[in-house]
Amino acid sequence: MRRTSALLLCLVPVLAGADAGWAPLPGGEFRSVLRYEDTGGVVKVAPFDLQRRPVTNAEYLAFVKRHPQWQRGRAPVVFAEPRYLERWTGPLQPGPLATPAQPVVQVSWFAAQAYCEAQEARLPTWSEWEFAAAADATRADARSDPAWRERILAWYSVPSGRPLPEVGRSPADLHGVQDLHGLVWEWVEDHSAMLVSGDNRDQGDPDQMRFCGAGALSMDDRENYAVLMRVAMLSALEGRDTTRNLGFRCARDPLPTKGKTP
Amino acid sequence: MMALRWRLVALLLLALPVPGLAATPLPGDSVYLLEDAFSDQSGKPFTLAERRGKPQVVAMFYTSCRYVCPLIVDSAKGVEHALSPAEREHLGILLVSLDPMRDDTAQLASVARKRKLDPSRWTLARTEAGTVRRVAALLGVRYRALADGEFNHSSALVLLDSEGRVVARTERLGPVPDPAFLAAVKAALATASSS
Amino acid sequence: MKRHLLAIAIAIPLALAGCGRDNPNAAMDSRDAAKTSAGSATPGDLGPPQGEPINAILTSPPMVPPATGRTAPAKVIVNLEVKEVDMEMSQGVTYTFWTFGGTVPGSFIRVRQGDTVEFHLNNHPDSKMPHNIDLHGVTGPGGGAASTFTAPGHSSQFTFKALNAGLYVYHCATAPVGMHVANGMYGLILVEPPEGLPAVDREFYVMQGDFYTTTKYREKGHAPFDMQRAIDENPTYVLFNGSEGALTGDNALKANVGESVRMYVGNGGPNLISSFHVIGEIFDKVWFEGGTKYQENVQTTLIPAGGAAITEFRTEVPGSYVLVDHSLFRAFNKGALAIMKVEGPENLEIYSGKEVDSTYLGDKAASLAPVASAAAATVAGTLTLDDQVKAGQALFAGTCSTCHQADGKGMAGVFPPLAQSDYLAKGNDALIGVVLNGLSGPVTVNGQDYNSVMPPMSQLTDDEVANILTYTLNSWGNSGGRVAKDEVAKVRAGTERSEGAAH
Repeated sequence: MRRTSALLLCLVPVLAGADAGWAPLPGGEFRSVLRYEDTGGVVKVAPFDLQRRPVTNAEYLAFVKRHPQWQRGRAPVVFAEPRYLERWTGPLQPGPLATPAQPVVQVSWFAAQAYCEAQEARLPTWSEWEFAAAADATRADARSDPAWRERILAWYSVPSGRPLPEVGRSPADLHGVQDLHGLVWEWVEDHSAMLVSGDNRDQGDPDQMRFCGAGALSMDDRENYAVLMRVAMLSALEGRDTTRNLGFRCARDPLPTKGKTP
Repeated sequence: MMALRWRLVALLLLALPVPGLAATPLPGDSVYLLEDAFSDQSGKPFTLAERRGKPQVVAMFYTSCRYVCPLIVDSAKGVEHALSPAEREHLGILLVSLDPMRDDTAQLASVARKRKLDPSRWTLARTEAGTVRRVAALLGVRYRALADGEFNHSSALVLLDSEGRVVARTERLGPVPDPAFLAAVKAALATASSS
Repeated sequence: MKRHLLAIAIAIPLALAGCGRDNPNAAMDSRDAAKTSAGSATPGDLGPPQGEPINAILTSPPMVPPATGRTAPAKVIVNLEVKEVDMEMSQGVTYTFWTFGGTVPGSFIRVRQGDTVEFHLNNHPDSKMPHNIDLHGVTGPGGGAASTFTAPGHSSQFTFKALNAGLYVYHCATAPVGMHVANGMYGLILVEPPEGLPAVDREFYVMQGDFYTTTKYREKGHAPFDMQRAIDENPTYVLFNGSEGALTGDNALKANVGESVRMYVGNGGPNLISSFHVIGEIFDKVWFEGGTKYQENVQTTLIPAGGAAITEFRTEVPGSYVLVDHSLFRAFNKGALAIMKVEGPENLEIYSGKEVDSTYLGDKAASLAPVASAAAATVAGTLTLDDQVKAGQALFAGTCSTCHQADGKGMAGVFPPLAQSDYLAKGNDALIGVVLNGLSGPVTVNGQDYNSVMPPMSQLTDDEVANILTYTLNSWGNSGGRVAKDEVAKVRAGTERSEGAAH
């Protein structure tokens, strides 16, 4: 009897995980496009879970219902700029421009953090995101494949006047994660850690006083425009900013598997 | 019987909201809207909203930083020295550690002692790692942990008015204060004392 | 008071030099000295701005804002918007351009040396990317790029003083720079010299760029950016003002005869250098590389990637003048072509158009001279035997010699000889008949049997037959003789024959 209930308790986190759509990612050593002096570009990523898809309008609506301080109009401007959820018809009505299955956009970093914390999760770090995004359907690291780059660049070339596709339309990658490319930009926990100069051509020019202990950040793999653009985008943003093309998904440390309730 | 009734009345009085003490809501652009918990160099917990009412000069640092962080302390001291004693009384200085793992309360106290930082005006604070990221975002400070425990971080002094709104910032460090920043500090103090 | 003195101090050396710009190598020193205001050590700094701030007039290509007409430094406010727009790059081909001001190239900015420019860069909220701007006319880190890194839906401001006169490129410098420029993020800023540029009738703004797509040239549909082609410097399109139709057809530049035209020509790149040429015009002046000195009488000028040039010329004659990159396959196979249509009265002394179209015979012309002189002699009544023989020889070659050979020996068993042929004894009329009517069937010449077909040569005129036969009778040891034109006419009239069959 006790064993069965223990087994059932073990299942609960798994079921909850399936609901939220979490994919387990193995850790590993990995070559980042951000080549900081102290790491030489090699980054160790610990195993982590990542949501399979970006957070949708439906999911975000559920969050603001339960946490009214994050509704549009009530979230203070210091945490979310005035264009927060601008295209929703009302604070609790996403409306036709924000269908339930579309990724939620025009959310600030503070709001995304609050959402993830409410799921007992967090935003992924840049390294975790980069690690996950390197994969395609068959390989963990497809970045050297020009086809991978071209597919991503094709999205960057399309202006954002058109309506966003729904989440989950693109094929899952090797880890079972979808839509890391081709849908929306995504917040990461440490976007403010990208100590990148606004002028990309400063590579290797250490302005020592600007960033204390500044190690020169050079962007390795300059051919990988796809990732360079993502870095440029994230480093341009402040925590309260929102854009029409910026959403997020959550990450978490892997849950322990022995009989612990969620 | 009598004592109990008085105690009840006293309790009721305490329960009633006292006009004047009831806080008007913080403005939407106030940093003090962050409700997370901090603790200072004596271990006393506090929230940012408790600093309301006095303009603050805020910066982020960490105690094992050898390069710029001592300069941050010098810069804040420089601002202090440029004020009149009356002004100095009404300014708070808050330094938040980027490195709560290693900057425990004892460490903060040690730095405060070494640099002779008057605890009635200087607060050296630590908080949880997630909150550090949030405070940095609110103050516009960028930082990154290095493999060896050091940090890359942008260095700035940020001036908050008495309501916790960011009204000025400077990246010019050193004992001689940035004149524009100093002027902003004086202006904030003048506004605070007149209200 | 001081300012007046300064103005005079500037004016005198310029006047002495004969209005400065006409002779760029003289008066450089005096101009440099005049460029510094009293009390400022920085060359090109003409002092603090004066008067009310001015909102800069920005124009879309190919138009250029009017001359500033200012005589003192001013504060100029520039508001430039960044938009990501789908536009046509060729008929039926669309491309996602990233633009300054909604156009490729971006808006033209015109200020005066010494102006203080307050620059606002506004990134439209619909943009996917952050953008910034590097103006080559700015002295300062990144040319402004470090100070204008702007997220979508945000605006950045910075201020600079235009210390150097010239025509400068501006472009986006956000990572990855090559891609931002390849998508059309470039334009020109003109910093006028303090004395302004001489007035002209027309000013135009033209900018070349190279474009890289995964699709082929003129393949219809949406054309995505091709990063590998960009790295390989192998463009699909090379265009003036961002599209094949930008300056052709109805959009051609227009001018009138007798006008002075100045073109501000930039090259955004990102990769290619331009060999800029206007077909049918010579540049009277080229301020090469957009600088202070000019060259004169230039056919084709090099414009570096990320550089510019100012060209000036007068229109003398109407017509369509084609602007090209003289690396010709770019002009004709990748689209680097624009048109300027000049209208007005012709001037045949300068350019006449085609005057004569006559036949040119190449080598034959010389050899048929005797035929012409014989013809002339016949008309004049002075035709000699010698004339006829010479004319006959010229005509024989290539007509009769094909079969009878140049030496008259014919081909054994196939074509009878003419040299010392016993057939010639048959008399003029018979010979004329053979030439005019042909000869077929068995025939014996010099003891040899022949059975071939000689086609009738009735296309030859009477003159020609007479001359050929005269030549034959007087060549290769034949006994001589002469055939006259009217003898031929008589035979021709007297015989029926089919229409002439020539070789």
